[in-house]
Amino acid sequence: MQHDSQLQASLKEINDLKAALDEHAIVAITDPQGKITYVNDKFCAISKYSREELIGQDHRVINSGHHPKEFIRDLWTTIGRGRVWHGEIQNRAKDGSFYWVDTTIVPFLGQEGKPRQYVAIRADITARKLAEEKLKASTKEVLDLKAALDEHAIVAITDPRGKITFVNDRFCAISQYARTELLGQDHRIINSGHHPKEFIRGLWTTISRGHVWHGEIKNRAKDGSPYWVDTTIVPFLDAEGKPRQYIAIRADITERKKAEAAVLELNAALERRVAERTAQLETANRELEAFSYSVSHDLRAPLRAVDGFSQAVIEDFGPQLPEEGRRQLQTIRQAAQRMGALIDDLLTFSRLGRQSLAKRTVETAGLVRGALLELGSPWSDRRVEIQIGELPPSQGDPALLKQVWLNLLGNALKYTRKRDAALIEIGCVWQSEGQAFYVRDNGTGFDMQYVGKLFGVFQRLHRMEDYEGTGVGLATVQRIIQRHGGRVWAEATIDRGATFYFTLPEESPRHE
Amino acid sequence: MNDTPSIELLLVEDNPQDLELALRALRKANLANRIHVARDGAEALDFIFCEGAHAGRNFTDGPKVILLDLKLPKIDGLSVLRRLKQDPRTKVIPVVVLTSSKEQRDVIESYQMGVNSYIVKPVNFERFASAVHELGLYWLLLNQPPKVEE
Repeated sequence: MQHDSQLQASLKEINDLKAALDEHAIVAITDPQGKITYVNDKFCAISKYSREELIGQDHRVINSGHHPKEFIRDLWTTIGRGRVWHGEIQNRAKDGSFYWVDTTIVPFLGQEGKPRQYVAIRADITARKLAEEKLKASTKEVLDLKAALDEHAIVAITDPRGKITFVNDRFCAISQYARTELLGQDHRIINSGHHPKEFIRGLWTTISRGHVWHGEIKNRAKDGSPYWVDTTIVPFLDAEGKPRQYIAIRADITERKKAEAAVLELNAALERRVAERTAQLETANRELEAFSYSVSHDLRAPLRAVDGFSQAVIEDFGPQLPEEGRRQLQTIRQAAQRMGALIDDLLTFSRLGRQSLAKRTVETAGLVRGALLELGSPWSDRRVEIQIGELPPSQGDPALLKQVWLNLLGNALKYTRKRDAALIEIGCVWQSEGQAFYVRDNGTGFDMQYVGKLFGVFQRLHRMEDYEGTGVGLATVQRIIQRHGGRVWAEATIDRGATFYFTLPEESPRHE
Repeated sequence: MNDTPSIELLLVEDNPQDLELALRALRKANLANRIHVARDGAEALDFIFCEGAHAGRNFTDGPKVILLDLKLPKIDGLSVLRRLKQDPRTKVIPVVVLTSSKEQRDVIESYQMGVNSYIVKPVNFERFASAVHELGLYWLLLNQPPKVEE
């Protein structure tokens, strides 16, 4: 009885163990031919086959085809000889999905020492295998990236104290040092001395605080030649957040730096030349200003004497002089006054080239009305018809543009003086280069043969006795229009009148 | 020492021809009484401030008005003007700048320094004479300058 109860106790223990095993593992039993004689619930669950579908089959039903024949043969050889086999197997479930099992196959031997049955105990390691595969793939990717990086960049790794622990081939090539010469050194070996201490200190402060540093560094190769590298240093931190190592990735920018230096040098040379030229121009301008200042003061004084003393002679000795003598003195006075007028006009003209333009939008119509009023409109002693067309606003210096209108309208009035009914048309036409203002008169006109002389200083196409003038008016007009970036031209027929046109650019590109 | 009559007008002019014409114009305008002529800026300042050759002169004896050329030897007209307008004793004396210059910067500087009038000498003598005439009438006859105190 005691024997019985002992047997029952150990049976119970075995059952308990089996129950625990079934909870934990995938269990199958096969006969010596490999036919499945038992599967537990976990086997059914992972293989997605029912027990009925499995019993009597061999393991080919879940063969994934993943393992080579030698692998399967080795397994059978091992267990056929009564030895335990252990390994990892990929199987295929009923739905075609794959799973991995860590497998231990224990052969149980019969009385002749031949396997009686095999008990296979498996654990699902699909998740681990997937993770391993992923890790392998990403490791491969990292290695690929590293290979690509080595192809492309100059790479070095240093320890937290700055000692070089790794350099790639490109680092060796550009620095001209062998790897053995570099490892264990710090970067002072390639220091060019170009950068100030603060620069280097700034770099170390940045990376030792765990920040990425980026900048351009000038290094010196073994043969003393300098080279420039665009550098990114990335600190890698340990668990405590302190730099564990620094990886520096560099690109050779020596050629770019050379080009930049050449451009800078070129710019500096250009700026020097511009400064020199500007200084020369300023000097010339100052000289011109001093010249015209002294012309304005000194050239007029003798003319005042000529005019004043001629007048004094007429006043003091007029009665004693013959009529012809008085007339000649008057001629002297007229000539002196004319020269005064010439000097004044010339000074005004020369000032035009120097004074700066105060550009803004100008109401052309208002400007024209103002100029006409200044010229004495309406003229009670003459028959003058003024026709004003549409006059769009223009861009320019109002004072200078008014001078243009004064001169052109003044000319139109002057050269229509001998007409019984003077007609002056003012308007604007569209040309290919933009709007062109015009002043047309029915006056004396001129021969187009001489149009080239029209805008020259002191050039006149009419005799002094017919039409007074200094020959500066149209030269002034041309200079003002040209300084605005515009163009002025004229068309005329002798005795039929003349038309003067001028353009003003909408807005000069310099101001954009 | 009061036997010298007080000076009404100081004419500062270096050009002898301009000077002769100016005096002629002033005479024709009946303004020729008690004119003193200075031929450069230094002489003008000596006269006004009773210094140097004019140390014996009485400061209160005028002038009532000063006609001042700008381009002058030694001390130029603008410097004379600055001295006059900076000194409380002389800043009330009317100064008329009389010059050939139409240069904007001269005109602007003169007015900034407190000039009372500015006349450009025209080439035409008659216009010059009439300008001097009106000027003399205005500053000597109509305008009553405040009393100069020493």
